[in-house]
Amino acid sequence: MDIPILKIEDFLVVTIQSELSDDEIYALQEDILSRIKDVGATGLIIDITALDIVDSFMGRTLSNIAATAELLGAKSVVVGIRPAVAVTLVELGIRVKWNVNTALNLERGIKLLKRLIEAERRGGAS
Amino acid sequence: MKKELSILFESHADRLKEEWITEMRESGLLAKMSDTETEKRYTALYNAVVSTFSTGKFDDVERYAKEITEGVVLRDTSVERIIGGILKLRDIYERFIFSEYRDDEEMLYQLLASYEPVANNILTIVTMAFVEAREQVIREQQKAMMSLSTPVLQIRDEILVLPLIGTIDSERAEQILEELLKRIVELTASVVIIDLTGVPVIDSLVANHMIKTVQAAKMLGADTIITGISPVNAQTLAGLGVDLSMLITKNNLRAGLWHAEKMLGFKVIRETE
Amino acid sequence: MNITSSADIIAARGKGRELAMKMGFSVVDQTKITTAISELTRNIVTYAGKGEVIIKKAESETGGKNGIVVVCRDEGPGIEDIQLVLKSGFSTSESLGLGLSGAKQLMDEFEIKSKPGKGTIVTIKKWLRRR
Repeated sequence: MDIPILKIEDFLVVTIQSELSDDEIYALQEDILSRIKDVGATGLIIDITALDIVDSFMGRTLSNIAATAELLGAKSVVVGIRPAVAVTLVELGIRVKWNVNTALNLERGIKLLKRLIEAERRGGAS
Repeated sequence: MKKELSILFESHADRLKEEWITEMRESGLLAKMSDTETEKRYTALYNAVVSTFSTGKFDDVERYAKEITEGVVLRDTSVERIIGGILKLRDIYERFIFSEYRDDEEMLYQLLASYEPVANNILTIVTMAFVEAREQVIREQQKAMMSLSTPVLQIRDEILVLPLIGTIDSERAEQILEELLKRIVELTASVVIIDLTGVPVIDSLVANHMIKTVQAAKMLGADTIITGISPVNAQTLAGLGVDLSMLITKNNLRAGLWHAEKMLGFKVIRETE
Repeated sequence: MNITSSADIIAARGKGRELAMKMGFSVVDQTKITTAISELTRNIVTYAGKGEVIIKKAESETGGKNGIVVVCRDEGPGIEDIQLVLKSGFSTSESLGLGLSGAKQLMDEFEIKSKPGKGTIVTIKKWLRRR
């Protein structure tokens, strides 16, 4: 399955529209990272509104993407986590190692990205 | 044998009805009830009972029990009146069997052996229906109380306040969490203030639930401020080794609100001196 | 149902979700059950290569309670130190290591039987809350 990666200004927006197999997740991870490099994106938004389940594997992948994107110079934000998914992730114990920025929806995600980038530019904390 | 009982009761239906009504009146169980209502009440019971003896099945009694409990729940009548009515009917019918077969000991014995378990079963079915109905009411009230005790209030754009009152157990904590997340999405909130002034005991269980709540809210993009932990509770938590450093905590609701406003860039100014 | 690939994980999740929904579990509980199934079936694929999962209705031994039971069975390498694996955060692969401990957290009951070299059976249950 091909997942479109949209470019808005300096940001990339990825909307996951259905459950993905492991291979598709790996392919998506590669795609995103090479696109960040190609276009020199400063921000990445992954929208998972459509996902009604995020297991530890998916959670880890999201956090890997965020960490690698950071190394490539892009801040990332995951948006659209559903309440039931959030409760489950917390119950799962994902908190210990999960350092992913999150926002309610796309609009808030873009706002948060801008704030994160601005904070870095000023050399201060967010 | 049951068949015979139903024929026996049906053939003397009028007389038995009169006896029931008279005795019920005397014991005050029909007070303030009109003749038509009394008639209706008896007919419903009579039909259920006689049908049980003629078919050997308790379906009609179960249906009767269901209808009558609804009446009690709606306060049309009381449990005392219903159970009293069934007990009276049981006694009247039993005395009637006695009087009819006084001289035929063999037959009397057989009839009673058949009659009594059925009569007792009818009483059990109706009583259990009452108990079940009451429990249902209690469950519903508990649910209503739970949602009443979880008010999520929006006090500014993007700011919610959740004042918690009373003790918090795991079930309530889960319910609070789900309600809060639902409201964060509905009201697109960015900051949540959870005020614990009204929670008398904050042990490690409550603290852990608060930490989970904060983390889940964060996944929806909302920051949480905890307010109103009393010095005593704070000491207890420190003693238990609960790490609150990952939470934003403020003394009281006012300080929490002030902090939330600052986070979102609100500035509240009094217009006149 | 047999589990041999990551496509089977998705199929097993779908089955679990469908049954949980039909039985009247809340959306949160549906999500927890589905996620637990995902964790356990992924363990099968990752560590044993193949195995099976059974997802069905459960009734409590004393009666009165209804729920869902998931049994995951494989003949893989098994687990040496179960207590260690169940400690939150432990993992032999590089994942977040939440597979077993996570599934345990998400459900009401959790049981594991495993012998090194003989495979693993994990049984998890969640009960419907009375309304």
